[in-house]
This record gives sequence, C-alpha cells and structure tokens, in this order.
Amino acid sequence: MNQFKKEKNKFIILMLMPATILLLGLTLFPFVVSFILSFTDYSLLRPGQTKFIFLENYIELMKTKDFWIALRVTVVFTVFAVALQVVLGVVLANLLHNENANVSFLRTIYLLPLAITPIAATFTFRLMFNPSLGVLNYFMKILGFEPQAWLASPSTALFSLIIVDTWQWTPFILLICLGGLASLPNEPFEAAKVDGANSFQIFYKITVPMLYPFISLALLFRSIDAFKTFDIIYVLTSGGPGILTRTLNLYAFKHGIEYLSMGYAGSIAIVMLIITIIVAQIFLRKNKLLQAKETLR
Amino acid sequence: MKVLARRLILYIFAIWSFFPLYWLLNTSFKTSKDALSKPPTFIFKPILKNYYEVISNNQVWGYFFDSLIVALGTTFFGLLIGIPAAYVLARFKFKGSADFGFWILSTRMTPPIAMLIPFFILYLKIGILDTHIGLIIAHVGLNLSIIVWIMRSFYEELPMEIEEASYVDGSSFFQTFYKIAVPLSLPGISAVGIITFLFSWNEFLFALVLGDSVVRTAPVGLYGFVGYQTIYWGQLSASASLLLIPVLFFVFLFQKPLIKGLTFGSYK
Repeated sequence: MNQFKKEKNKFIILMLMPATILLLGLTLFPFVVSFILSFTDYSLLRPGQTKFIFLENYIELMKTKDFWIALRVTVVFTVFAVALQVVLGVVLANLLHNENANVSFLRTIYLLPLAITPIAATFTFRLMFNPSLGVLNYFMKILGFEPQAWLASPSTALFSLIIVDTWQWTPFILLICLGGLASLPNEPFEAAKVDGANSFQIFYKITVPMLYPFISLALLFRSIDAFKTFDIIYVLTSGGPGILTRTLNLYAFKHGIEYLSMGYAGSIAIVMLIITIIVAQIFLRKNKLLQAKETLR
Repeated sequence: MKVLARRLILYIFAIWSFFPLYWLLNTSFKTSKDALSKPPTFIFKPILKNYYEVISNNQVWGYFFDSLIVALGTTFFGLLIGIPAAYVLARFKFKGSADFGFWILSTRMTPPIAMLIPFFILYLKIGILDTHIGLIIAHVGLNLSIIVWIMRSFYEELPMEIEEASYVDGSSFFQTFYKIAVPLSLPGISAVGIITFLFSWNEFLFALVLGDSVVRTAPVGLYGFVGYQTIYWGQLSASASLLLIPVLFFVFLFQKPLIKGLTFGSYK
C-alpha cells in the first residue's frame, strides 16, 4: 500500500510540474515587480529619482473621482456584456445541439466572430457605427428610426460597446457549452422524454443543471477577461465621450503608457487584481468549484 | 412548428454573427472611394485590386506564417502541459490542491499593464525577445489557466468507474490517463483546443510588445494598415478576410468531437 501511495504522489507531482514551472517563471516576476512599483512614485520620465511612498498611490486613487467612475463603467460593462453572452450562448448551444439537420455550417458561422482578427473586426464596427456614412444609421433611416450617434453619444456609447463585445464573445460561451453538451450522458434526457417532459422543461430542469459546471466556468473566464477589456474600447471610443466609457484598464494604460507613471498604473493594476480575486473566490466557493468533487480511491 | 421556430432563431443569430464580416468582405472588394461612400453601398463594381496587393505582399505572408507557428505551438504545448494538470486536479485531492487550482486561475486575472513591462525586461535578459518560442511561451502562460480549468470540469463530468476498472486490471496511473481519460475527454480537448488556437492567433498586446520586428503576427501586422491619418481599408479588409481561411480550416478539423454522441456512444 505504501508503494501505491508513493506511486500516486509521484504521478501527481510529475503531472503538475510543467504547468507549475511555466506559470511560476512567467507570473511571479511580473507580479512582484508591479507590486513593489505600486508603493513607489516610479516614473519613466525621471527614473533616477524614485522614492518609496508606501500607500500614497492607493490613497490618491481612492480620493480620485475618475477612479470611481472608471470602476463603475468597468462593472456595468462586465455585468451586462457577460450576462447577455451567457444567456445567448447557453440557449444557442442547446438549440444547435438539438438540431437534427447538419449544423456544421451554422457552427462555423457562429465561430466567425471569434476567428476574425479583432483589429479588423473592431475597425469594421467603427465604420458601421459611423453616424453619417455607417450602415447602421442607413438601416435606422430605412426602418423609420432616428439615426443615432452611437459611439459618440453619452446615452449609447457604453451600450454599443456591450453589443460589440457580445458579438465577439458569445461564441466562446457557445463553444464551451457545445463541448459540455457533447460529453453529457444521454440517459437523463431520454428518461425525461419518456416521462413526457416538454423541451422547455428538459432545458430548464435537466440541461441547465447538468451543464452548470461548464456554464459557471465560461461565465467566470468571460468575466475575468471582460473586466480587463482593452482593445475594442480603445479602438471604438478611447474611453469617450468624455470619460463615460473609460474602464479601469484604460485608466491604468493612460497613466502607465501616456503619462509614464508606472507606480500609479501599478497600483491601479493591483486594485483590479484584488477585486477580481475577491469576486472569483466568492463565486467559486458559492458554486463549490474550488476542489475536486470526488477523488479516485 | 417548433422545428421552424428553432431554425428561425438559429438563422437570425447566424445573420447577426455574419453581418459585420459581410461588411468586411464587402469592403475588401471596394475601391477606397466606395468604402467610405455616403450612403453606404451594397451593390457596386467589385474590384480584386486589394487582394492582388495583399497576396503579392510578402510581409502579409510573413504575418501569416508567424501567426501560424505561434498559434499551433501555443495550442500544442498548452494542451500538452495543461491537460495533465487538469486531470490531476479533477481526480486527486492533496494538501493545498484548492489553493493550487486557484493560483493557476489567478494568473489570468493580472491586468496586462502589470505584466507587459516585466515580461519585456525578462525576455530581454534571457534573449528570447522577438522569437517564436518567446511568444509561444507567453501565450501558453496566458492561456494555461483556461485550459486547466475547463479541462478539469470535463474530467469531473466523466464517470470514474471506467478509470477504476482500468486500475483493477493492473494499469498504472499514466496508462489509465492517456489510454482512458484522454480519449474520453475529446469533446473538451476539441473545444479548448479551438479556444486556445483562436486566443493565440488573435492576441495583440503581448505580440506587439514581445514581438513586432522579426516575429510579427497577423493582428500586429494588420494594425500597420491603420495609419494616423487614414485607414487603408482595402488592404486591411482583404488581408483579414484571407487570414480567416486557415483559421476556419483549423476550426473545421478540430470541431468533429463536438458533434453529439460521437464519444459517449463508444464507451457505453
């Protein structure tokens, strides 16, 4: 039995080793550097005169109204975009999975937004959103609606970004759910059909609960990524009009890359990391996803 | 009736997914004047000039090969390193396994601004700046969390009896892992493989900072068509459209296990 235990430990260590080495090598150093920088006034404009200022960056951040606005924008963007994507992704995965006709064509179309180079897609959206020569307002006029300024108007800018993000990332949820659906056993579904359940009941009472581990993981990863979205917002609005769509990540880039004050940018990054860790911990604990459910022998 | 409603929804979503790409394709066949016409034109005299320009542009071929090497390398090594870790986290409890899993997840949470400059310095010191292997390592690192966590939930959904039976038959842990668990988790490997490939293929910020002169992937290269004053719509849209072809080919190859019943039929 001791031999078996030894064997098991050796197996665990060998299987985890490559991932551990790689991630330690890649993430420990950047994290420590940013963490230390966030307690200094390090700026690339005057690199020789860096002072240790302890919590000053953080105190300054908490006192700045712009930071709180950026936090609110980030949270609104993340919550609405991810909620929309999860609902769409789960429903569509289910519809696609139940379709008996050949759907490889549709599946491929659905994955296109994830496949196209985001730079090209985002600039195409910018062209489509253009108030005077964009195709969106062209359709609005045909359908008898008032043309909108979309990205330039305070009332529609954030909404437009959420739409673009949803367009791009719904396929991610869809893909994970399709994989999940393909690996579920058939018996519960067949049993429910025999019992006379309709397709809505099956979806609600069987599919969603069985798919839940996959849905919650897709939701978690999408939230982590949406929280630090950069490229689409940078290209489409650059945080405008004013600072109404400026997220924390854009705020950090402004200070780090444009003003070159790496210490301050570092403190924003650390605050973002802390928020994400807290929310993720609560989420994982609530859904009991932190640890393996059952283990071998 | 129900079938009809379902198809209607499926096709509406297909139009929604496809329309921006239709617009991109549309633009790629337009002259620069037509691309920015007012009102936007649906019917116009298509030209192939943009495609000629892109295909005869050796740089665009360079972006393509750099992206292909990096994305394939990232997918291969990411799965090779990530799947074993996912399996162990799903099947064994050991001291600190929950914390270990969370630590892996947390590597995705760090905002890029905190990673880019240290990464740059680190790469400069080791001498892998602007190399394929350097970008592959970075992309594997960025995506390992997603590979490990999603594969882990696929393994948790697999019934354990088959693996236990394999132990009773005298197979070792390794044999059981690669002869039983890996084949049964093919839908997961397929979904995660597609996701990893696409993430790497489209990743912009790290490819820009850690690459750019010798190794220039497609997103960085295409960004070159966006000038300060003008956007070269023709070349941008034509090269983006062409770059879709290899991606679709990859997705098509990898999506087979996603089709229902293919795996579970075999084990029942």
